[in-house]
Amino acid sequence: MRSPQGDVSLIGVRKTFGTTVAVNNVDLDIPNAAVFSLLGPSGCGKTTTLRLIAGFEQPSAGDVFIREKRVTNVPPYKRDFSMVFQSYALFPHLTVADNVGFGLRMRKVGRAERDKAVREALALVKLEALADRYPRQLSGGQQQRVALARAIVVKPAVLLLDEPLGALDKLLREEMQVELRDLQRRLGITAVFVTHDQEEALTISDVVAVMRNGVIEQLGPPREIYERPRTEFVAGFLGASNFVDGEVAGREGENAVVMASGRRLLQTDPSGAASGKVRIAVRPERVLLGAPGGDGIPGRVTHVIYRGSVTQFHVAGETGSVIIYVQNSSPEAQRFKTGDAVTYRWEAGSGVVLAQGAA
Amino acid sequence: MRGVTPARLWSLGLVAPPLVTALLFFLGPLIYLFYVSLHEASSTELYGARFTLANYAAVFSDPFYFLIIKRTLATASWILALSLLIGYPVAYVIARLPPAKRMLVMLLLLFPLMVSNVVRAYGWVAILGRRGVINTTLGDLGLIDAPLSLLYSTQAIVIGLLTILLPYIVISIANTLASMDTRYQEAAQSLGAGPVRTFVHVTLPLSAPGVASGLLLVFLLTLSAYVTITLIGGPRTKLLVSLIYDSVVGFQWPQAAALAFVLLALALVVTALILAIMRPGRVQGSGR
Repeated sequence: MRSPQGDVSLIGVRKTFGTTVAVNNVDLDIPNAAVFSLLGPSGCGKTTTLRLIAGFEQPSAGDVFIREKRVTNVPPYKRDFSMVFQSYALFPHLTVADNVGFGLRMRKVGRAERDKAVREALALVKLEALADRYPRQLSGGQQQRVALARAIVVKPAVLLLDEPLGALDKLLREEMQVELRDLQRRLGITAVFVTHDQEEALTISDVVAVMRNGVIEQLGPPREIYERPRTEFVAGFLGASNFVDGEVAGREGENAVVMASGRRLLQTDPSGAASGKVRIAVRPERVLLGAPGGDGIPGRVTHVIYRGSVTQFHVAGETGSVIIYVQNSSPEAQRFKTGDAVTYRWEAGSGVVLAQGAA
Repeated sequence: MRGVTPARLWSLGLVAPPLVTALLFFLGPLIYLFYVSLHEASSTELYGARFTLANYAAVFSDPFYFLIIKRTLATASWILALSLLIGYPVAYVIARLPPAKRMLVMLLLLFPLMVSNVVRAYGWVAILGRRGVINTTLGDLGLIDAPLSLLYSTQAIVIGLLTILLPYIVISIANTLASMDTRYQEAAQSLGAGPVRTFVHVTLPLSAPGVASGLLLVFLLTLSAYVTITLIGGPRTKLLVSLIYDSVVGFQWPQAAALAFVLLALALVVTALILAIMRPGRVQGSGR
């Protein structure tokens, strides 16, 4: 059996609710001082996984470790973690300072030391001036910061964050992502971050685990998850993706040679063992649009959508329907109209051969 | 000043009927009652011609009235304390039941209220009376020589009213506890608070609105209870309402009116006290 490593480990953790399997044999070591994101659609088991670490749920099988100590049967209040809830769950009858000091009070930290720690935590989230207010007197963003201060002031082994930015509007959310990341780095705290927002996961994480139906489908740094998706689900969940079917015809260095609609395409093959019929994923921004002729794949523009930073072209081509992003800073963006004959292609290694059988 | 918009007219139209009803049938009569209380009694009319403060002076100078007011407050305090002490744990258990079961238990709680207060009071008479169940049983067992006087006491009133009023406070607190976001408890636990401290520092203060409304219901219903008090308290254990009734029966209408205002004043003071202690407003409309 694997031995636990780092601040948080799950070994063979399984959780069922009745006949529903919420988490299915998850093995996980969360790296120290890193932001680890659990990313997936609702019902994928990400929140249940977080609640298993917290101890709000008991695993049906397997074990949970915090700092290499088995805590599977330890109640939440004896585990070394703190949590930021999606709804913040600030105590409405306590002031901001008393909310932040709550964890220290429960740990029987003396008054003077507690006040000092509370002041420092509030300074970290830039809310010193609001210490005597009540939560209802704060804006959503301020409440969010108080919840964060309340969680970090106890210096937990792991900070759990359950979609903490979900209730904020887009601009504030992006600002808080950067701030949260900065704070986590400065404190060197281990954090587990649950989100269904792929952009947020990419922005904030050192490691992303994409979950689906209770299992971790892929785990890796944001760039790897985005640019080297292993399955069609991961490719699709992390943003728009084009899928092309083909057949492996050989290898050339790192890449697999894939034949698709009579063309020879070089594709990245993370498994290094692709063979037979395969499916390739290509990001829309990796596809290059060009005039008819040359070695591109012929097609016809069906839609042109202006999207601010890019123009999105839909092309009906030989490999099927393809989405292509062209930067609006390039003159290419205005070159083609709906109905125009075009060609498209992508550089060797831009496409990724997806794992077989995992549609 | 905002102009008269259709939306404002519409909301005014919705508020108008209850507002007019309240003015016409509550505030108006109340003012008239106060006017009556400031006159001397008359044997032929509702009130005499002479203006006087004697009805209020009587309440504050007569030791008998003082005794009754004290007894009324003492009885109410006992009922409040016991209803909270017994009611809260019951509500806590009910609130943790699954919704369907909770509904069923609440219905069961309300079931006794479907029996008339008169019937229930006589039930207590049958149990606590000189020849009631308790006295005859104890007598038959040879434990007592003479029947205990259980009935016609403050304790008997407290027991009788408690059985009627407990469901009100239980349901009030249970509803607050059941609708409380469990994330608050989880947040407390995540910060190291065990079950007891989570209850003391989070659950209990957050249930203040339910406790306050439950206490208010119990207190106001205690003040206005008549049948139970008369039947269980008997002629010797009178409370304020009994005095009002006695004054009316004795054609002392102005005195009855004055007593009604004393009762109202008591109700307002204690209500203010309960709200000041519980401060239900501080946990409402917040957290998020």
